[in-house]
Formats: sequence, structure tokens, C-alpha cells
Amino acid sequence: MIRALLALSGLALLAYGTVLAWEFATSRTVNAVQGTAWFIGGPLLHDGIVAPLVGLTGLLLTRVTPTPWRTPVLTGMALSGMLALLAIPFLWRPFGTGANPGLHDRNYGAALTIALSAVWLAVATAGLTRQIRSARSARTE
Amino acid sequence: MSGLIDRLQPPSESDFHAPAHHEKVTARLGVWLGIAFLLCFATGLLSHAIQKPPSWFVWPAEPVNLYRITQGVHVLSGIAAIPLLLAKLWSVYPRLFARPLVRSLPHALERLSILVLSGAAFFQLATGLFNTTQNYPWSFYFLAAHYAVAWLAAGSVLLHVAIKLTVIRRGLTRLTPGPDMSRRRFLRTTYLATGVAVVATAGATVPLLRDVSPLSWRSGRGQQGLPVNRTARAAGVTWDPTWRLEITGPHGTTHLSLADLDALPQRTADLPIACVEGWSQSATWTGVPVAELLRLAGADQHRPVLVTSLERKGAYRTSVLPATHTASTLLALRLGGERLALDHGFPCRIIAPSRPGVLQTKWVQRLEVL
Repeated sequence: MIRALLALSGLALLAYGTVLAWEFATSRTVNAVQGTAWFIGGPLLHDGIVAPLVGLTGLLLTRVTPTPWRTPVLTGMALSGMLALLAIPFLWRPFGTGANPGLHDRNYGAALTIALSAVWLAVATAGLTRQIRSARSARTE
Repeated sequence: MSGLIDRLQPPSESDFHAPAHHEKVTARLGVWLGIAFLLCFATGLLSHAIQKPPSWFVWPAEPVNLYRITQGVHVLSGIAAIPLLLAKLWSVYPRLFARPLVRSLPHALERLSILVLSGAAFFQLATGLFNTTQNYPWSFYFLAAHYAVAWLAAGSVLLHVAIKLTVIRRGLTRLTPGPDMSRRRFLRTTYLATGVAVVATAGATVPLLRDVSPLSWRSGRGQQGLPVNRTARAAGVTWDPTWRLEITGPHGTTHLSLADLDALPQRTADLPIACVEGWSQSATWTGVPVAELLRLAGADQHRPVLVTSLERKGAYRTSVLPATHTASTLLALRLGGERLALDHGFPCRIIAPSRPGVLQTKWVQRLEVL
């Protein structure tokens, strides 16, 4: 019952979205071409390039990182990737509007560097703590 | 996944052994991603309705920070959805390599619905994120595209939940000691990344995080301490001393100079500017209550007003101030006690409570009682 209700409302929303998307795409050629490219581009870029690269990097790091450092380093990589991703629209702006006073007018390269430094400082602290702890427990055994 | 490196060929579903790929992980991430999408969709529809109100829609003027909060939630839930979506997709990534590609017609439709879901989700998050920073690496009209795809995203999420309901219920059983611990570690990293993403950007709207967020698009460098979304130069507006405010109402048309406006009763109020792009900031505004101007024009103070700017073109040259808002709206002449800067709308601008920034019309030339 819940299932049918969910499916039906989902289909109704999809139908309305399709009508809107159709109106959008047929009103101008550029809407159809670029809209489709941006729609398909996400899954293609992610499934074909980003996910395999991230997966292989993770696998490689898991193999070369000593055990106490594994979780901190992988976490640090995930956070760094996240911050770098969010920084893209600030740092890559050939299509951005000119600077408006008080909006996107900071030095975002420096801001990202500071944020990444904070992340890796935390990684170093966590890694060292774990390394010392595991060395200590090895000695007591 | 380790077999892949030795063989150097496309993986199959069974090559993935990491704890992240377990359905307990997928289901938990799905719940949080679903909540983020739901918040984003609801607040987005709300913002759309305020800007293009259907006849039945009423948006209250109180509390004055309401739109600031709903639009902040819109943008921040979208940002939170980015790490959640990436983690969720990584969790189900092995399914991409399931063979046979298509087993039956329902299976084909299910895979198609997932492609729509993934396409719509990436489209919304990418265009939304770029829009917050006023960066447009496309030539289509952002608003129409973001609105249409929102329905596709919401519809495909609901359909997906309906299809996966049994798996979701099974996946949400308790995490127990043992293999579930490494699953929990992946979940914790994802939640941490989500928190970091939100904190890194939320300074655009949350005053407490103003000096904390490195990637906030709102800086403290705006004129008179407030960001400017559209400069006078970009709008093609210059100051002309012969300017008169034109008010049209039941008494005909009245013209008021800046000195006339200064001589009218003034009111000071703390009201926020809350932009659709997610930044917001409260400020102290002083000016003539719109209700006072309506009285001068011989109109009831609860009439809607058409506001027209000195701007020659642009989608937001005019706005309609709804009857619910006229009593508490100012035609602001001063910001923080100083005369408005030209970029903030000098000689006068509309400052209404709980409305999108694009409707706070600057460089007002005419008020017309509707």
C-alpha cells in the first residue's frame, strides 16, 4: 500500500518534471543541448572517471599506509576531496559574474589552503597518537 | 576490488569487497540523503512560490527571518547532499557492473529510473553550487532548468524508495559488533565530510560561522558592511538630482523629492536581506513605512503595490509587494544610520520582511497601488 502510494506519487512528479523539462528543452536549442549535456555529464563523469580514480587511490593508500595511519589518512583524503570540490566554483570562474562587493571576493586559494592545512594537521595528530598507542601496546605484550 | 589490479580488466560486481558496499551502509546513507533532498525540494518550492505566487499562495510577513532560514536550509541541505550522494553512489557502485545488463523489462525500467535519479541529482547539486557563487558555465536560464529538474529528482527519489522498500527495511537493521564496525567507520567518515562541507560554507548565512567558513561566498567586504548583489553600474543606474518618487493610487499621482521623503515620518527596523543564492545578513534600516506612502496616495494600507526600479532592464526591474507585507515594509533611505550607498539602491529601496533579496527592489522610481 505504502509502496504503491510512493510509486504513484513518484511517477506523477516525474511526469510533471518531464513536461517542464520538455518545455525547457524545446524553447531554445541551447537549452536542449547544454541541458542534456549537464544532465548526462554527471553520471558519466562520476561513474566513468571520478569513482574509479577515487576507488583505486583509496585501494592504493590502504596498501601503502601503515595500519595506525590508515583511517586518519583516508579520512583526510575524503575531507580534502570534499573541500576541493566545493572550492571549484570559487577558483574556476571563466563564466562567473564580475566581483560584487561583499560576494565571492575573498582569496579562496588561501582559504582552501588554510582549511586543508587544518585537516592534515588533524590527520597528523590522529596518526601520531595511534602510532604511539600501538607501539606502547606492542611493548606491553 | 583488489582482483581488478591483478587482472587489469573491467571489474564484476563480485570484485568489490569493501565494507562501504554493504546494504546496511547504503540504506543509512539513503535515509540521510533522502532527508537532505526532501528539505531541499520543499524549501526550493517555497522560494519558487514566493517569487511566482500562485493565486492561493500566502506567505506571512512574520517572523521576519523566516525566508532567511528556509533559503539557508535550501542551500545548506544541498551542500550536505553532495558528500552524502557521493558516498551513497560509492556504496552501490558495484551494482553498476552487475551482469546481465538487463534481465527483464521491469529491470530495464529500474535501471533507467536510476540513471534519471543520478542525472537529476548531479544536475541539481552542480548547478545549485555554481549558482551560489554566481558562476554560470552554461548558457541556459538557471532558474527554469533547476526548477524542472527538481521535479525529476523528487519523482525519481520517490520511485526509487518504492522499488527498494524491502531492501531499505532490511538494511536498516541494527549495526552489530563484528564486520559492522568497519561499515560504521565508513558512515562516520561520510557524516564527518558532510559536517565539514556544511561548516565550510554556512558562514554565508549563519552569523556565528561568519569568520569560520573558508568557502563562504558572502564576505564582510560589501559597502556599508552589506554585500551587493547587483551594482548600480551593472544595472546602468546613475544618480539624477531631478529624481522624484512617483506614487500612483486612488488620489492620482504624487511626486516626492528625496527631501520630501526625508521630511515624512521615519521608522527604523532590523531586517535581513536574504538572497536566493543562500547568503543572508541582517541590517538596521531607516525609512518611510510603505503604509505611510499608501496613506498619502489615498489607499488602504493593506493593498498590494507594484514597485518599479530605475533599472532599464533585468528580470527583477519590478516586483509586487503583497498586501500581507505592506504594513511592515520600509521604503528605506538609510542603512546603519548612513545615507544608502548607490550600490544599495540610493535614493531609496524596498526592505520587506522575510522576502527573497531579488524582490527587495533597489533604486525605486515608482510605486503603484494595485
